[in-house]
Amino acid sequence: MAHVWPIGGGKGGSGKSFITSSLGRLSAELGKKTLIIDLDLGAANLHTLVGVPEPKKGFSDFIRKKIPLLQDTVVETPSENLYLISGAHDNFDVANLPYEQKLKTLRAIAKLDFDRILLDLGAGTSFNTLDFFLISQNGIFITTPEPTSVENVYRLIRSIYFRRIRYCFNITDFKEMETEADRQFGEGSYNKPDCLMKVIARTDPEKYLQLKNEFSAFRFKLIINQVRKHDNISLGLQMSRMVEKHLGLNMEFLGNVAYDDHVHDAICQQVSFMERYPYTKTASDLRELGKHIVESVGKQLTLHYM
Amino acid sequence: MRKDFNQLNYYEMLDLQPNAVPYEIRHAYNAAMQLYQPGSLVSYSFFSEKERREILALIEKAYQTLINDQLRKEYDDELVRRGEIDAKEETAPEVKKPVSVFHISRGPTARTVFVSSDALKDRISQSQVIKDILAQSVLSGQDLKQIRTELGLTIEQIAEETKIRVNHIQSIEEGQAQNLPPAVFLKGFVKSYLKCLGLESVDELSARYMNTVSCLK
Ligand SMILES: Nc1ncnc2c1ncn2[C@@H]1O[C@H](COP(=O)(O)OP(=O)(O)OP(=O)(O)O)[C@@H](O)[C@H]1O
Ligand SMILES: [Mg+2]
Repeated sequence: MAHVWPIGGGKGGSGKSFITSSLGRLSAELGKKTLIIDLDLGAANLHTLVGVPEPKKGFSDFIRKKIPLLQDTVVETPSENLYLISGAHDNFDVANLPYEQKLKTLRAIAKLDFDRILLDLGAGTSFNTLDFFLISQNGIFITTPEPTSVENVYRLIRSIYFRRIRYCFNITDFKEMETEADRQFGEGSYNKPDCLMKVIARTDPEKYLQLKNEFSAFRFKLIINQVRKHDNISLGLQMSRMVEKHLGLNMEFLGNVAYDDHVHDAICQQVSFMERYPYTKTASDLRELGKHIVESVGKQLTLHYM
Repeated sequence: MRKDFNQLNYYEMLDLQPNAVPYEIRHAYNAAMQLYQPGSLVSYSFFSEKERREILALIEKAYQTLINDQLRKEYDDELVRRGEIDAKEETAPEVKKPVSVFHISRGPTARTVFVSSDALKDRISQSQVIKDILAQSVLSGQDLKQIRTELGLTIEQIAEETKIRVNHIQSIEEGQAQNLPPAVFLKGFVKSYLKCLGLESVDELSARYMNTVSCLK
């Protein structure tokens, strides 16, 4: 079974697609048969980053039933071992993927025959994005050291947490719990997953235990991108400490990726940054991340609750 | 899933081992204050102001307890009773060993940079809590402490900046007459403490504080 890494977080432009493509290349170089899927459907551009300017087919063909099997939408890239399902030619947002289609997609991804599958999820916290995060224990969050981007990562993590809890209850019970959370912890607590969990602990200990076990199995990962000379290099460690201490979720800080103007140059020239500028700090940061990620394994999650 | 923050014991709160020495405790406290102080990039979007204040108060309490030998001993006994830590073994005083010439184990020399008075003035002018405190006719030690935590300053930082001993600052904040530094020093201490917080009209405020504590006697 493939290891799936959903990649998201931060705000637009924090470097999700750049990092997805770089990690994809590294994983392929390290001998893993690697697939990257562009699910940032409104603004797909992964194909350009991996040297496939005009993909002949893509994800939309699967959704529009032109190609019945997801595996047949895969295209090769110029790099050995690296494959792509392109999101190009799509003018709808993943947020608008109807429920049935989403389930079908999630199941199809889980069945693909690759060693590693990376999902570029784009920015935002639409329900569909959250569901793509929930298919793996290995969600990767990317942020820059800017408050706005950090804020978005926290919001995304909370939303994922929340989404999983939501799946455990029917709408009436859930509403009731929200009201209870508000009553106990003050106005607005209904959208704090940690407050909801406290309510569940008392009202439904069995479900609480089940959720608790599931959450402790998550192995979220955090990457800080575009780190400049004067930025606080411990930000990543501190953020993961925050998430672990106050949300009770495991989050491992994987490392910083330095800011470098050559990234822009490489993208403009449409060449692989790591091949063109292998001696930059940014390239060596990426290689470190790559090694780490290729070795890490986490369970793929079953989707029975959706 | 881990425990809730407010259910952690003081060591867990500050990420300390139960056998931590004061130097480590101070270090952990400063690190925690950096993490949770208002305006910290790490936590600003994580908590509401109310949550932040509660957490800062807990950390303060943890630090005050662990840094004070007597309070820490009582707290440790309590933890041992609750089965959270093992009773300390009485260890014989360590025999001094020769130290390698190249291994000078001093604490970090990097001094925590004190916040500029302009930055403090900014924070003061923007904090409703501080405005409310200053609008009262009384000014207790508790109030001072609240202003200090609101500004994200540690007792250590104040001590370093004003050269007043940590335990004196603590007593000023506790405001208990019997523990206060001798009257001849007190007024001066309070003034430099207030000045260090970046407050204006220090004379008037220190008089207010002196009045407030003398009423408690
Ligand atoms: N480490 C870096 N150093 C310098 N520039 C970088 C770095 N990482 C990314 N960039 C720049 O940021 C731009 C945006 O990156 P990218 O397209 O990967 O962001 P994104 O998070 O996928 O955005 P979106 O949410 O819009 O999909 C890139 O074009 C690149 O120029
Ligand atoms: Mg992108």
